Amino acid sequence: MRHNAKKAATLAVALISLAALGCTDTTELPQSSITEANIFNDPNSYRAFLARLYTGLAVSGQQGPAGSPDISGIDEGFGQYLRLYWEHQELPTDEAIIGWGDIGLPEMNTQTWTSQSNMVVGMYYRIFFQVSLANEFLRQTTDDKLTSRGVTASLKSTIQTYRAEARFLRALSYWHAIDLFGSVPLVKETDPVGSTPPAQATRSDVYNYIVSELTAVQSQLPAPGAANYGRATTAAGSMLLANVYLNANVYTGTPHYGEALTAAQAAIAGGGTLDPSYQHMFLADNNTSPEIIFAIPQDGARTQTWGGVTFLTHASCGGSMSNNSSGVDGCWWGLRLKPEAYNNYSAGDGRKAFFYTNGQTVGIASIGDFTNGIAAPKFRNVTASGAAGSNATFVDTDFPVFRLSDAYLIYAEAFLRGGGGTQTQALSYVNAIRERAYGGVAGDITGTQLTLPFILAERSRELLWEAHRRTDLVRFAQFTGSSYLWAWKGGTQGGISTASFRDLYPIPASELVANPNLKQNPGY
Amino acid sequence: MGRVRYWFAAALAMLGTSPAVAQGATGTIRGHVTDVITKAPVVGATISIGARSATTRADGGYIITDVAPGSDSVRTRSIGYARASRLVTIRAGQTLVVDFELAPQAVNLAELVSVGYGTQRAGNITGAVTQVGSESFNTGRVISPGALIQSKVAGVQVVDNNDPGGGLSIRIRGTTSINASSEPLYVIDGLPVGTGGGLSAGRDPLNFLNPNDIESITVLRDASAASIYGSNGANGVVLIKTKSGQKGAPQISYTTSGSSSSVTRLPSMLNAAQFRAAVTQYAANNVSQLGSATTDWFSLIDRTAYGQSHDLSLAGEGQNSNYRLSLGYLTQDGVILGSTTDRLSLGINYTQHLYDDRLIIRTNLRGSRTHDLFTPGGVLSNAAQFGPTQQVYDATSASGFYEWPGNTLQSADNPVALLSQATDHGTTFRSIGDVHTEYRMPFLEALTANVQLGFDVTEANRQTFTGSRSHSQTKTGLGGSIFRTNPNQVNTSLQTYLNYAAPLGGNGGSIDLTGGYAYARSTADYSYLQATGLSTDLLGDNGVAGAKTLNPVTNPQNSKLISFFGRAEYNYNDRYLVTASIRHDGSSRFGPDNAWGDFPSVAAAWRLSEESFLKGSSSISDLKLRASWAKTGNQTFGNYQQYANYAVGDGQTQAQFGSIYIPTIRPSAVDPNIKWESTTSYDIGLDFGFHNQRLTGTLDWYTKTTKDMIFTVPVAAGTNFSNFLTTNIGSMENKGIEIALSAKMAQGAKDGFSWTADFTAAHNTNQLLTINPFGGAVQQILVGGVAGGVGTTIQVLQPGSPINSFYTCQQYYDGAGKPVQNKYVKATGDSVTNCLNSDRRASHNPAPDWILGHSSYMTWGKWDAGFTLRAYLGNYVYNNVASNLGTYSEVTRASPFNLNSSVLTTGFTSPQYLSDYYVEKGAFLRLDNITLGYTMKYRGQPMRLYATVQNAFTITGYSGVDPTAGLNGIDNNIYPRARTITGGLSIRM
Repeated sequence: MRHNAKKAATLAVALISLAALGCTDTTELPQSSITEANIFNDPNSYRAFLARLYTGLAVSGQQGPAGSPDISGIDEGFGQYLRLYWEHQELPTDEAIIGWGDIGLPEMNTQTWTSQSNMVVGMYYRIFFQVSLANEFLRQTTDDKLTSRGVTASLKSTIQTYRAEARFLRALSYWHAIDLFGSVPLVKETDPVGSTPPAQATRSDVYNYIVSELTAVQSQLPAPGAANYGRATTAAGSMLLANVYLNANVYTGTPHYGEALTAAQAAIAGGGTLDPSYQHMFLADNNTSPEIIFAIPQDGARTQTWGGVTFLTHASCGGSMSNNSSGVDGCWWGLRLKPEAYNNYSAGDGRKAFFYTNGQTVGIASIGDFTNGIAAPKFRNVTASGAAGSNATFVDTDFPVFRLSDAYLIYAEAFLRGGGGTQTQALSYVNAIRERAYGGVAGDITGTQLTLPFILAERSRELLWEAHRRTDLVRFAQFTGSSYLWAWKGGTQGGISTASFRDLYPIPASELVANPNLKQNPGY
Repeated sequence: MGRVRYWFAAALAMLGTSPAVAQGATGTIRGHVTDVITKAPVVGATISIGARSATTRADGGYIITDVAPGSDSVRTRSIGYARASRLVTIRAGQTLVVDFELAPQAVNLAELVSVGYGTQRAGNITGAVTQVGSESFNTGRVISPGALIQSKVAGVQVVDNNDPGGGLSIRIRGTTSINASSEPLYVIDGLPVGTGGGLSAGRDPLNFLNPNDIESITVLRDASAASIYGSNGANGVVLIKTKSGQKGAPQISYTTSGSSSSVTRLPSMLNAAQFRAAVTQYAANNVSQLGSATTDWFSLIDRTAYGQSHDLSLAGEGQNSNYRLSLGYLTQDGVILGSTTDRLSLGINYTQHLYDDRLIIRTNLRGSRTHDLFTPGGVLSNAAQFGPTQQVYDATSASGFYEWPGNTLQSADNPVALLSQATDHGTTFRSIGDVHTEYRMPFLEALTANVQLGFDVTEANRQTFTGSRSHSQTKTGLGGSIFRTNPNQVNTSLQTYLNYAAPLGGNGGSIDLTGGYAYARSTADYSYLQATGLSTDLLGDNGVAGAKTLNPVTNPQNSKLISFFGRAEYNYNDRYLVTASIRHDGSSRFGPDNAWGDFPSVAAAWRLSEESFLKGSSSISDLKLRASWAKTGNQTFGNYQQYANYAVGDGQTQAQFGSIYIPTIRPSAVDPNIKWESTTSYDIGLDFGFHNQRLTGTLDWYTKTTKDMIFTVPVAAGTNFSNFLTTNIGSMENKGIEIALSAKMAQGAKDGFSWTADFTAAHNTNQLLTINPFGGAVQQILVGGVAGGVGTTIQVLQPGSPINSFYTCQQYYDGAGKPVQNKYVKATGDSVTNCLNSDRRASHNPAPDWILGHSSYMTWGKWDAGFTLRAYLGNYVYNNVASNLGTYSEVTRASPFNLNSSVLTTGFTSPQYLSDYYVEKGAFLRLDNITLGYTMKYRGQPMRLYATVQNAFTITGYSGVDPTAGLNGIDNNIYPRARTITGGLSIRM
C-alpha cells in the first residue's frame, strides 16, 4: 500500500514534468483588436478604412473626442489635422491672432516658430499620417489582393472609386506638404512599411506627382451632390487641381494659370450654386449649403474632436459675448481678428455682420487679452434658423475646404495672371460674390477695379478664416518681407519685416533625427 | 528546443553517475543535524565518513549508504557552525543513527537565505543578496509589504505615495527601463506574482498580503542572483516568505494596534487678506466677485485620521505536519477626507511530511478583500486654487455650496462640495495559492523532484461618480459622470524542477544542481464603462441607466511565459564557490522570430577567511570576495505589440458619407520584430565580518547596461502608421556602489543593554546612452507633463543625461537675489528674455545621488526600542504647485485662482513654468519611525506593549509638500505625508 503510494507519487511527478515539456507554444492572439490577417474578411472593412482616411482630417484618433490618438507627442486636440492646418494658414497672417500661451502656439502669431515648435511638428506628422494610411489602403486594395480574397465584382468596382478617393486625399495632403514644408519625401504605396527612411523629393517632383495623380483619378471620383456629401467628388478634384495649378509658380517656378482657370471652370460646372446666405456656410446646418464643394464634416454626436470646428467655434468666443450665441457651452477666449483683416471690409459689406465689437478694440496691444482685436464668431454651432447644434461641446458645423466662390476668385485671378478666360466672365463671378455680400449691386466693381491687389483683398474678405490666407500671401509675395506689414508680424505690435525663408515652415527637428536623408529648409 | 533537452539530459545524466544503491556488505548511517540553541534543522551541512558523504536536507536529515564496516569518524561541517565529529563503529548491514547538534559560530553566515528555486547559507552566496527578517521590519502602520524594508537594504529605493496603502514603487539599483516596467519581480513562497495595473482597485497590488504574515523578505539585488528568473529578472527580484507553523504546542497570537495620523505639510497658499490684496492689485475687475470669508480650504479637507488593526494567528505542529492560520483586519483612514483602506485577510500555511519525510507537501493559501475609498479627483488641486475669501456654503445655490459665479470652464470647484458630490471607491478580491510537492527520490537520496502548482486570482472593481450638480459637471456640461471598471485577472502557473545536492569527490567539494521548467499564463480583462449625462443623481455610481452617453470598453489581455532553467553550484570547502545559471524564456509578447531568449549568469566567490593565512586571525571572522556577470531580460510591457492591429473607431469618430455615418478602422504602427530588453550586469562585492561577526558588512560595486530598450520614438514620416513607433533602440547605464554595515554596538548579558546598529548607503548614477537608431544632433524626448498650460513638459530623455532630467531654463536673478520674470541665462552666460526651447538645458534629476539609511535595535531588560532614519542626497523636486499658481496672472482669470505664496517672493505676473527656480533641492533627513516597546508576562506568556511614531520629523530645504514626491520628482498637489502615532499590544496564548 505504502509502496504503491510512493510509486504513484513518483509517477505523478514524472508525468507532470513530461507534460510540461510538451508545452512550448508561446502564441497569444489579440482578443479585442483586429489584425491584418482577418480584417478584410469583412467586406465592410474597405469602406471603413476609406472612411478613416476622411476622418484623418476631422478627428484626432479612434475615440471621440479624444483617445487612441493617431499621432503622439502633442496634445490630442492640439494635434488635430484641421486645427493645425488652420493655425498654420491663419495665425501668421494678417487675419487671425490667438491669445493662449501654450507651448509652441505664441510663435505661430508672429512667424517666429522653430523646428521644434509643437504645432509645426504636429502638422508635419499629421500630413504624413494621411499619406501612410492612403498608401496602406492602396496596398490592401490592389487587384491581386482583392481577387485573392474573393471580392465580388460589384464591390471591386466600388473599391475602384474608393481608391480614387484615397489618391485624392493623399494628393490633398501632399499639396499641404509642399505648400507648408517645400521639399518632402515622396512615399507611395509601392514603398515598404517599416522604418526605412525615405529619400527627400524636390518640391517640383511632389508637385508633378500631385498633378498626375489628380489627373488620373479625376474621372473615377464620385459625382457631386448631396448623396456624396463629405466625399471627394469630381468637383472637389477639380478644385484641388485648380489650387495646385494656381500656386504652381511658387512650387516649381513655372506658372500654370491656364490650367488653373480650366480646372476652376470644371469645378464651377460641377453643379453647385452660390449659397444665398453667406453666414449659412459656417453654421451647424451648413451641410445643406449648395455652395460647399468639399467639406470636413463635424457632428456633435458622431464626429467629435477637440480640434476642428469645435476649436474654431469655442476659441473665437470670449469677452462679453454669450457662449449661447455661438451655440457652445463655454468660451475659450482665444481667436480674434488682426486689425488689418477687420479694416479690409468697407461699410455695407454684409460679410462683417457677424463680427463682435462690443467691448473689443480694433488694435491689439496685448496678444493675451481677448478684448484686444475684434472678435469674429464666423463659425457657430447654431443652425440658420437659430436652433442650437446637437451637442453644446462638439459642434455640428462642417468646415468648408473648397466652395464655389473660391472657384470664382481663382478664375478671376487666373484670368488676371494671363491664364485665359474673359474679363466679362471674371467680373460676373466677382460681382456675384459682391452682390451677395452687399445684398445688392452697391458693392459691384468695374473692369478697371478688377486687379490682382483687389483679388488678394477680396479673397481675405470672402474666405476669411477659411485656411487660405498664408498660401495667398505667399503667392502674392507679401507673406514675408517688408512689402506688407501687419500687427505682430515678426513679433512687434506694429509689425516688422520677416525673412523670406519663413515662406516655408521648417521640417521638424525630430524628423531630421528619424530620417537622416532629409535636409532642413534654408534659414532654419 | 534542443537546448532545453540538453538541460534535462544533464540532470538525468547525474542519476547515472550517482553512487550505487547500498550493498549488504556495507552499513548505512542516517540522522539529523540541528542547531544546538534553536533546535532548528541545519540544512545543507556536509556529513562525511571516510570517502562517503551526504548533504542534509531541508529537515536537517541525511543518509549515507555504502559505508565500509569498521570504526571511523563521522564529521560534519556547515558554514557558520563549529565543526563536529563523532567516532562510530559500524557493521555490515547495520543502519546507525547519528544525530548532531551544532554550535553556531557566526550565526549570520549560517542563516538560510531564499534564492530562486531553493535556499542557500548566507555565507555561501555568490551574488548580492540581502535578506531582512521580520524582526528588522519597519514598524508602525505599515499597509503594503514593500514598505517593510524601506531603508533596510542598500540599493533598494522604496517610494510610496502617502495615500494609505497607496501605490508603492521599488527601484533596485536604479531605473532600468523607461517604457517597460522598472519594478522588481515579486515571488511569494516560490510563486511569481504580478504587480501590474488592474490587479487592484487602485492602491498597491501587494496590499492583499498582510505584512503580519511575512517572515522574511529577500532582495536579489544583482543580476547573477536574479537571472534564474530570466526575462523577469532585470529589475531585481523580491522574494517574500510567509510565516509557517512552529514547533511546540499550538500557539495563538493576537496583535492589535490603534493609530492616529495627522498632516505634516501642505502647499503654502495665500491667506484671505493676501489673496484679496493680490486680486485688488492685479485684477481689479474681479474684486467684485470676492467674498468676505476667511476660509482655509485645506483645513476643511484634511483630518486627524484613525486606524486600527487586529491580527490573530494559530500556529502549531502535528506529528508530521505543521500549520499556521492567520486572520487579519486593518482599517486606516487617510489624512485627506474621503480616503480609507480597509482590509480583511486570511492565510493558511500547511505542510505535511509523508513516507519518512520522503514526500513533503506545502500548501499556501491566502485571500483578502480590500475595500478602498479614494479622495475624489480634484479635491487637493481645487483646495489650492479656490479663493480663501469665498464662503463654503451658499444657501441660495441648487447644491447648497458656494461656487464661483458665471460657471466658466476655467473656474475652480469648491473642494468641500466635491467631497460631498463625488464618490470614488473600489473593492479588490485577491487570492493566491499553491501546492508545492517535494519528493526525495527513493533510488537516489540526493535527488529531489519539485512540482509547484499555483494560482493568483484578482477580481477588482472601482466606481467613480460625480453628481450632475457638481460644479465640475455644470461648467463642462457633462451632466454628471460615472466611471466603472472591473478588472479581473487569473494567473496560473506550474513550476517543476529537479534538485541534486551532494558532495562531489572526497576532498570537501559539493555540488548543487537545479533544472526545471515553468509555465505561466495570465488571462485578464480590463473592461470599463463611462457614462455621462446622468438621468438621476439618486442612484450614485449605479445610475448608469438613462445616461445620455455610455461608453463601454472591453480589453482582454492574455499572456504566456514559458521557461526552462538550470543552475549549477560548486562549493569547495566553503572556500571557493562558483554558480552558473541559465534561463531560456519564451514570451507571448514577441513574434515567433524573437519569442525565445537566453539569460545566462556566472558568479564566483572566494572566501579568503577560509585560507590558511587568515584562518587563524582573531579579528577577521569572515572575508569573501565576489564577482559576477549576468544577462537578464525585461518583458513587462504591453501585450500584442508585435501584431499589426486595426483599431476600431468608436461611435464618436465616424465619417459622414452623404447622409450616413460610417465607423472607421485604422492600422496601428507596428514593429513585428519587437523583442526583449536585456540588461548585462557586472558586480564585484566584498562581504566581511570582524570580531566574531560583531561587525559585519558588504560592499558592492556594479554596472548595468540595458540594451534594446523598448522606446517609442519618432519614425521616419510616411513609413509607418503613426509618427512614433514602439521598437527596441535605446540603451541606458546604471553604475553604483552599495555599502551595508551592521554592528553590535553593545551586547549585554541576559537582560543587559544590547544595541545593534545597521547602516546602508547606496549611490547610483544613471545615464541614457542612446535613444535613436541614427544618432544625430537632436535626440530628445520630452517627458514629465506638469500642470500649467497645455502639453507643458518639464523633463527630458536625452543621451548623456540621467533619465527624466529636469529640462529648464536657468533663471536670471537681479542684484537683490530676486528672480526676474521672463529673463533667463543662456548657456553662454548672456541673459535673454523668455525661455525658448533652444535655451533649455537638462540639469538636475529627481533620483537621489545617495540614499542613506540607519536602523537601530535596542533591548534593555523588558524594554526594547528601535528607530529608522532615512536620508536622500542630491535629488531634486519640481514644485509644480508653486510654478502653476505662483503668478499673479492666475487672479486675472474669469474667476481668480488662489496663489502659491512663492509669488510674494517672485512677484511673477506671468507663468514661468520652465524656470529652474521651481526645481528645488529635495535632500532630506527623515526619522521614518521610532518605536518603544515593553514586554511583560501575562499568564506565563510574553505580552508586548509598544508605541511607534512614523515620520517623526523631516529636515529638508524643500518648500513644497514632500521631497519624496514620487519617482519623477514632480510635486503637483500630491497627497500630503502623515505623521502617524501607533500604539499596540501583542499577546500569546
